[in-house]
Amino acid sequence: MRFALSEDQTMLRDAARDLLRGECSPERLREAWAGDGRIPGLWKTLADNGLLGVCAPESVGGLELGMVELCLVLEEAGYVALPEPLLEVAAVTVPHLGSDPRLCDVVTGERLILVAQGEPLLCADDADEILGGSLEEAVHSVDESRRLRATTGALTSLHGVVGAAAILAGLGRRMLDMAVEYASVRRQFGKPIGSFQAVQHHLVDARLALEFVGPVVTRAAWALDHPEDTDLDELPAAAHAAMAKSLASDAALLAARKALQVHGAIGYTTEYDLHLFMKRTWALAHTFGTSDAHRADLARHLTRNHA
Amino acid sequence: MKILTTVKRVVDPDAKVRLNSDNSGLVTEGLEAKMNAFDQYGVEEAIKLKEAHGGEVIVVSIGDSAGTKEIRTALAMGGDRGVLVTADMSEIDPKGVADLLAAVIEREAPDIVLMGKLSVDSENNQVGQRVAAKLGWPQATFAFTCEVADGWATVGREVDGGTANVRVKLPAIVTADLRLNEPRYASLPGIMKAKRKPIEELTPDDLGVELEPQLIIQGYSLPPARAAGEIVDDVDSLIDRLQNTAKVL
Repeated sequence: MRFALSEDQTMLRDAARDLLRGECSPERLREAWAGDGRIPGLWKTLADNGLLGVCAPESVGGLELGMVELCLVLEEAGYVALPEPLLEVAAVTVPHLGSDPRLCDVVTGERLILVAQGEPLLCADDADEILGGSLEEAVHSVDESRRLRATTGALTSLHGVVGAAAILAGLGRRMLDMAVEYASVRRQFGKPIGSFQAVQHHLVDARLALEFVGPVVTRAAWALDHPEDTDLDELPAAAHAAMAKSLASDAALLAARKALQVHGAIGYTTEYDLHLFMKRTWALAHTFGTSDAHRADLARHLTRNHA
Repeated sequence: MKILTTVKRVVDPDAKVRLNSDNSGLVTEGLEAKMNAFDQYGVEEAIKLKEAHGGEVIVVSIGDSAGTKEIRTALAMGGDRGVLVTADMSEIDPKGVADLLAAVIEREAPDIVLMGKLSVDSENNQVGQRVAAKLGWPQATFAFTCEVADGWATVGREVDGGTANVRVKLPAIVTADLRLNEPRYASLPGIMKAKRKPIEELTPDDLGVELEPQLIIQGYSLPPARAAGEIVDDVDSLIDRLQNTAKVL
């Protein structure tokens, strides 16, 4: 049994990584915060490089790949805190539209079609069309790159839930990388602070939590790609999605807390980049269902045959 | 137009490399590998030439089979087919690389060869020049512009203190410098298409090249650790230190 990415999947992830790290630096993210929340021209670049259509059929210009591949891309998007509605389009709109011809313009970035799911919706004011519900008042986010509008409707996109988990995994990884880097260069008492056991505890706790997220997100993505392939518990994809999002939210929130602790006072400042990733984590952990809501959902799946 | 371009697999220049225990080489295990940055400019220019003039782009690399990843990346950017010469890079010097590339170029007979000006790992800056000398072709190194028309390439070159414009008759070797272009990303659809593009594997024997290194690296050493800074009491002390200790004023 092989639990590893294929060479093609690795290359797709690496290509997405190169593009996203090249185009979405913390400096450009700060400009997005100060501007309209987005990076000028980046949406078209994402479309031109195929990121919007990972799961779309080839007939509309997509790659016709699955959620496993899209999650690799979204994790990289999380790593750079991409301030674009990639999750909302690639993981929600595309599966929602199926093989609808409108998808042609969606994957080329010509039209922005979003799906209202009863939660605050990112970039709703930029959308050409809103499906599934309607827009309501503007909502403030702790992450100032997120321009949101409240919506009607209900959270139905499991792809969105799993995609959000992948982004949170990437955010967690970024914050841990920053904390490890900082602990290696910040010296106190003549040594890097990373050599002190109390600091190491924080780093290890965050890494352990994040390490368990990856396989569960991939499992949930696999379940969405193969709905017929239920495991021994016969848990549906919805249960795997609930596990992925609750674990990812908890792990990313823990990584944020630990990274903040390791950084000390500098971590609280807006001049330092850590807050860009922490605030996105805080925002996303409570979007596409909270950890508590997904735990309750998982409980329903576990007990449904005994109720 | 037949365009040949070369790619080298190098350790990610942002990675922290360590020396092995006897300082005879670098510890590269576990470090991420990437396409040599200057080769990306060469690949991009090759693809731009194909887009402008038609034809095909052949991507050539030398190294172990892991090098197919860099070839595939170049194919995903827009190259048409690859050639990997399998060889142990630790036993090849710049002359060996040039001999192997010259043999591939003679087989393929391209109209122009675009290469990075140097590889960011060894920084020898020899291969393009050696290939041109071996083939007897004109060369235009350190290119920051490149235009092809009527069997000639007009190349702007980065030189000390300014730039120089040269014309070289094709076929020619052009080596790419930083300002030549902005390399495109390997797109996700490009990666899916690259799977179906052929990569031919050759050995030095297939090319009739005998590798006899003439340059042997004897050892490496790290730069000396930076001494601690010093806080001085006043401006006069600072000027005194700069004049008499650092001797920079």
